[in-house]
Amino acid sequence: MSEAVIPPRALWVPFPLGRPLGAVDDSEFQKNVMRTAFRLLETAVEPTIEDYELQAPGEGFNENWSCPLNLTPESSGSLTERLLAEVALLRPWAIETRRQRGRTLFGASGAREDQVDELARAFASVAETGDVTSELVVDDVAWAFETPLLLRHIADDLRTFYHEAIAAQPGDTVPDHDALNQWIFGETVLGEALLSVADGLTKASDSPMAQLVRGLLIPEGHYRGGSAFPQQTNFPINQET
Amino acid sequence: MVRLSDLHPVEAEHLAARALAMPAIGPGEWVTPLPLDQATVAIVSTAGLHRRIDPPFTVGSLDYRLIPGDTQFDDLVLSHISANFDRSAFGQDPNIVFPIDRLRELASSGEIGGVARWHYSFMGAMPDPSQFEKAGEEIGRLMAQDGVDIAFLVPI
Repeated sequence: MSEAVIPPRALWVPFPLGRPLGAVDDSEFQKNVMRTAFRLLETAVEPTIEDYELQAPGEGFNENWSCPLNLTPESSGSLTERLLAEVALLRPWAIETRRQRGRTLFGASGAREDQVDELARAFASVAETGDVTSELVVDDVAWAFETPLLLRHIADDLRTFYHEAIAAQPGDTVPDHDALNQWIFGETVLGEALLSVADGLTKASDSPMAQLVRGLLIPEGHYRGGSAFPQQTNFPINQET
Repeated sequence: MVRLSDLHPVEAEHLAARALAMPAIGPGEWVTPLPLDQATVAIVSTAGLHRRIDPPFTVGSLDYRLIPGDTQFDDLVLSHISANFDRSAFGQDPNIVFPIDRLRELASSGEIGGVARWHYSFMGAMPDPSQFEKAGEEIGRLMAQDGVDIAFLVPI
């Protein structure tokens, strides 16, 4: 893509998407990436793309990581009941991460950070009913989007809650992006709810936005039944939902 | 960013096709900036970052969000529509996506001249980058008025 855009100076980096400067909590590594990019200001005399070959140092990623919490519910129940129970188990850890960091990423949907239960209940209800286009009305929650796009951001807020719950747990290894997704989609009620909502979006074939949101809801490789985007989809520009 | 071979095969194929189909944009006028240790640097992100008070990005967004240099990380959220990148890294260390502290450290050590007062974020996720021309030119004018010498574009 850089070759098409032809920026004056570009540094290609080998890091996973979401980690453009490579190593989390490693200021020298990040600054070295920046220094290498800034050196192009002196060395480049025409549009230049240079490769940064250094890999980010190992952060204890363990592809065999597993969540130490037993999330298996003691009793079966509705999807809503099981999701709320799972959220309750994770809540102390998410609160601890927020306390340690002094911040949270939760809130893209418009919900406040203390409204996780409201989000879980709303999302589970959509998963259970399959109604992905009707307006979601939840007391005291000021949604930042309309359905079905709202579902995309509720999913992100819930995933953020789960990621933050994992971050505080003891252990020497840190799950990478793939391990987190494997855990969510393979072992949690949230994953079950995400896949059910995706099914509902698939069935809403008369809604172009629902089809688009389905492709944005679940990382590639975790949607059951093939690709998240079954057909070539062009993002509409400023399309109303 | 990232090797296609490190991505899920479907995602790799999707991005490769997007890259091949991307309309070419001719290079702009070549500019030799001030020496780095005299230059003021601003960050331009495509991570869909914005302050909590700002409207979120949505599908097809071509606009940008202003991020003041003194914004606290607890006031930044990420409303990018893609699910195919690691968001947990930003949650753990926001500098890995928005390296404002790293710029301050480089300025403190004299490696760069200074840090801009204002920084910017787009969402990206647009197959035709020429659609951002109007917003990009506006940011260019704002940067010129803010005394910015170098724009450090950080993709997600």
